Amino acid sequence: MSGKTLNLKAKVRPPPRIRSDAPRMVRQVFHRFTEEEVIPRAQAIDESRAFPRELFKMLGDMNAFGVRYPRNKGGAGGSTTIFCIICEELARGLVSLAAEYAMQCLMGTNFLFHYGNAEQHERYFLPAMKGEKVTAFCMTEPDNSSDLTGCKTSAKRDGEDWVINGVKTFVTNGPVADLFTVLVQTRPGSRGKGLNFCLVPREAPGLSVSRAFATLGTWSTEMSELALSDVVIPAQNMLLPPGTGMRALLSIVAEIRTMTAALGLGLARAAYEASVRYARERYQFGRLIKDYQLIQAHMANMATNIYASELMVRDCCARIDRGESPLNLSSMTKYFVCETACNAADRATRVLGGYSYSMDYPVQRYYRDSRFLLYGGGTHEILQSTIGRTLLR
Amino acid sequence: MRIFVLVKQVPDSTEIKIDPRTGNLLRQGVAAIMNPEDRHALQAAVELAAQVGESSVTVLTMGPPQAIDVLTEALACGADKAVLLTDELFAGADTWSTSGVLARAIQHLGGAHLVLAGRQAIDGDTAQIGPQVAEALGMEQATYVQEIEYLDGELEVERRMGEHLERLCLPLPALVTVVAELNVPGHPRLDLLLLACQDRAPIEILNAADLGFKAQEVGLAGSLTEVVETFSPKSARETEFLEGSPAEMAAALLGRLKAAKLLHKGGLE
Repeated sequence: MSGKTLNLKAKVRPPPRIRSDAPRMVRQVFHRFTEEEVIPRAQAIDESRAFPRELFKMLGDMNAFGVRYPRNKGGAGGSTTIFCIICEELARGLVSLAAEYAMQCLMGTNFLFHYGNAEQHERYFLPAMKGEKVTAFCMTEPDNSSDLTGCKTSAKRDGEDWVINGVKTFVTNGPVADLFTVLVQTRPGSRGKGLNFCLVPREAPGLSVSRAFATLGTWSTEMSELALSDVVIPAQNMLLPPGTGMRALLSIVAEIRTMTAALGLGLARAAYEASVRYARERYQFGRLIKDYQLIQAHMANMATNIYASELMVRDCCARIDRGESPLNLSSMTKYFVCETACNAADRATRVLGGYSYSMDYPVQRYYRDSRFLLYGGGTHEILQSTIGRTLLR
Repeated sequence: MRIFVLVKQVPDSTEIKIDPRTGNLLRQGVAAIMNPEDRHALQAAVELAAQVGESSVTVLTMGPPQAIDVLTEALACGADKAVLLTDELFAGADTWSTSGVLARAIQHLGGAHLVLAGRQAIDGDTAQIGPQVAEALGMEQATYVQEIEYLDGELEVERRMGEHLERLCLPLPALVTVVAELNVPGHPRLDLLLLACQDRAPIEILNAADLGFKAQEVGLAGSLTEVVETFSPKSARETEFLEGSPAEMAAALLGRLKAAKLLHKGGLE
């Protein structure tokens, strides 16, 4: 039957309920952002070893830093699922940028948002959401990293003020941050019971920030040491009610580990995609290298572990979005996915051979950056220990 | 000012592959995106609306239900409202039929002072929709526009005509199709994107009957053209990879050029 002879009657029907799927749309938008804005600049940013202010501001203009916060407070009204999709997509382009993004969305602003007053929100939180101010989170000390209850940075009451003394290290965004959320001990010897978080603005007298450390990877994530010498902060900058520091910290640990896993998933994908592209165009002995079984084995290993990683990250995100706090599952996820990232980066160097050893190709960067994921968000040695201990409790 | 923007969901041409056996597009797994030049039209609409004040930007697309995604993205880029024209009866429409539906929808929605669209879509490359919609609405039109200025109720536009530029004054209402040189489109805002995915998003869905069409007036039945065959051109190029040291490869290349009688005494012919 010719189409021209059709004589069906157009029917009046109620409008169908059609809406786009939010996670898919977010992935699509940030996939394109990464392809158009991040990947073309990634090598130059990495080599500059400087904080990527231009991209950071672009993310602010997209309200991407507000992903975890409600719309009526300047946020975007998203979820952990949406947050981790963005982290993953950005990490596919440049892990440094993704780490800086995650710091600003989560650790750098979480306690400021939940416990800061209106003036602090106006002064720091809203500009942070716009990418105009940079925030940092200071927990690690030269002698205490995973063992946070051993925090030695002290806060002593002095009338209406607090006086802070101590040293923090490996402070992500430290050299460029405008505001630091600092873990302090208010009751020496009390371990977790005296922990609290306080806001220290960069201009606070007595605060000194070291130059950026030279690091193996994530070159454009600037990290530094922070020395606090008789830094005086007003009482409202001590954020938490006494005795709740450990509980407050635990409230975001699952999210931090899941987010770190999402960074690993993005990096693993980048390594895998680079390997696939190369295997499909590289000839050796008259054949494309994709036709060699040992190359196929690398692909199978990477793709299988990436698939498992994706499911683990997705499950942890869904649990957090349902209000659960999957501490042990998020530790397993961070452990498995970041090992997958290191493994995928390693395998990518084998697929690309000599070209992965050249600084002109991004695979060397994936390999260096993957090591950052082994330590940030909990070392895998400590994580295995806590996972096992929890299981055997 | 009531501004309408015509957008189209197209396959991402950077990911498209063609089945060498059938000549058909392999669409499976290929991302669908907003036609790139339509992003420039949308950006211009949002900027003009802000400049003029008391304006609305309505984004319009015709397509299957999944085309909702380009409307969601458009809302996240600053459009006020979006309308999806979807109906099985619209299937198989050529540019003539599509233009008729788009024009009728604009009238149904209260008419426009200005309609903006990308010059052409990357899947069809016809550049016919904009001009045909303008004709159907009886509007002034300017195509291939790379600069737009709004001055006292009129538009001054610059058209890129290959090597030549043309400046025109355009009374409203008018339709303008734009090229990528017009502006740099911004990225969608996350808060608006998430809102646009919710049930209460300002997206209206219209079918053929809503617009008063009879079945034989739209889609394949209402089209003036027919696609007889699609095929990909055969490539006669053959590639040979030379291996060895640079000197060995250069010698081998020289040998191939000589064998193909491409080398003369003094060098290449």
